[in-house]
Amino acid sequence: MTAAATFDSVTMRFRGHTALEDLTTTVQADTITGLLGRNGAGKTTMMQLLTGHRVPTSGQVRVLGETPFENDGVLSRLCFIKESQRYPDQFRVCDAVSVAASVYPQWDADLAAQLLEDFELPVRRPIKKLSRGMTSAVGIVLGLASRAPVTLFDEPYLGLDAVARQLFYDRLLADYAEHPRTIVLSTHLIEEISDLLEHVLLIDHGRVLLDADAETLRATALTVTGPARQVATFGAAHELLRTESMAGQSRAIVRTRTATAHRTAADLGLTVEPTSIQQLVVAMSQATTAGRSATTFPSDLQGVSR
Amino acid sequence: MNRAVAAARMQLVHPLLTFGVPWAIVLSSFAINLAIWGFGDVAAQSPGDGSTGGLASLYITVLIVFIQAVTQMFPFAMGLSLSRRDFYLGTVLTAVLQAAGYAVVLTVLAAIEGASDGWGMRLHFWAPGVLDVDNVALQFVVFAVPMVACAFLGIAIGVVFKRWGAPGLYALTLTTLIGGGLLAVWATWQTAWGDVFDWLGDRSVYSLTLGFPAALAVALAALTFLGIRRAVP
Repeated sequence: MTAAATFDSVTMRFRGHTALEDLTTTVQADTITGLLGRNGAGKTTMMQLLTGHRVPTSGQVRVLGETPFENDGVLSRLCFIKESQRYPDQFRVCDAVSVAASVYPQWDADLAAQLLEDFELPVRRPIKKLSRGMTSAVGIVLGLASRAPVTLFDEPYLGLDAVARQLFYDRLLADYAEHPRTIVLSTHLIEEISDLLEHVLLIDHGRVLLDADAETLRATALTVTGPARQVATFGAAHELLRTESMAGQSRAIVRTRTATAHRTAADLGLTVEPTSIQQLVVAMSQATTAGRSATTFPSDLQGVSR
Repeated sequence: MNRAVAAARMQLVHPLLTFGVPWAIVLSSFAINLAIWGFGDVAAQSPGDGSTGGLASLYITVLIVFIQAVTQMFPFAMGLSLSRRDFYLGTVLTAVLQAAGYAVVLTVLAAIEGASDGWGMRLHFWAPGVLDVDNVALQFVVFAVPMVACAFLGIAIGVVFKRWGAPGLYALTLTTLIGGGLLAVWATWQTAWGDVFDWLGDRSVYSLTLGFPAALAVALAALTFLGIRRAVP
């Protein structure tokens, strides 16, 4: 696997807070990566660094082997679609499309026309007058038709209805199959897109929490249910993310460390179910939040446990 | 360079709006002046040629158009992965071409005005007072250079807004006001107003309409480029 983009010990500080802290990771080339994390985790900041909209406080960001800041060689192969994109007041849908066509070298006019039709966008209407969802659809059309080798979607579908979102997933997947490229998708609707993702990058408080391919994640994330003692035994051997107990029974989300974990759990008399990426993301983010408060108030916790 | 041209084309997506609004404003000002001169018979009432400041409306509108060229277009241009440099070059290119085009039209109008003895009623609207120079080439430059300066001033204000937001604009306004105010206070205290006007009177038309605006435009162009380099859309 080659890297389309790399973050090398990247720290991004704004006045008063740190958005990214010593973050090192790669974005795999020709892969659909899900950039996941809670609000304020640092997802948008990462995308702004990838597109040269911002410059890191320290560390280095490279896209297609080069620094993206003011670099036309990189920027011309990059497309960044964000929920918060502002369009000029007087621009109609067709104006935005024709300007985008003049900017992206690999622009596909047929695909753009097809997508405009699919999303039922009124091409001659000012974008300012469109509903929230339709404005999002304009961004999606630009993002897909740009065919940019590196395409970033930051929460691209605010306000889009379920049918239109499904349309986006279908078109994305179909076009990606024909024209493989690097796609980074940041979203909160994890359940909806988890089938699309080939790689998952989970960010929390400006650090990487999880960086793994989706296939491995699905295989290693388990939910086990059974007597509390057995669940605890199993959890101790692996990475226990979350437990709920009631009347001697426990239910735990575990990231397994061994290939035979499935059978071990079954031998302990536990019921084993797969864990969705969404459940895993929630459990992992909560686990670190709990960890954070534990380090913030160590004396309190000690008092409780003794 | 192609991408700078794309940025320039982006500025001209709605030519009717970009060019139409400034000319609609200045032409209505011209029409009003014509009507006043006609009905009021100003030529007969006052000795010499009558001048108006109506032309200023064109320059002010150009300034506003270029503030918006930055505030409206910059976020979209960067959203389409244009570099700040290309956006800047494209916008400057638009400003220079537009100023040149407008100056040609103004030169023609000034020539008609001169030939028709101020539209038959000694109204000097397009080339009032000292702005009326004999040489056609010079007349073009007298119109074009201040126009470029106005456009660059607009671009600069737009960049201040994009880079530092509303607080930046307030700070800019306040600094300009306080700076100008202090100078005025100083001039009054030193009873130097007479000297100031004498000095201004001693400057030639060319240094006032060419030298000063050109220097301003160059300074603004440099400062604006530095400012936009770290602006975030």
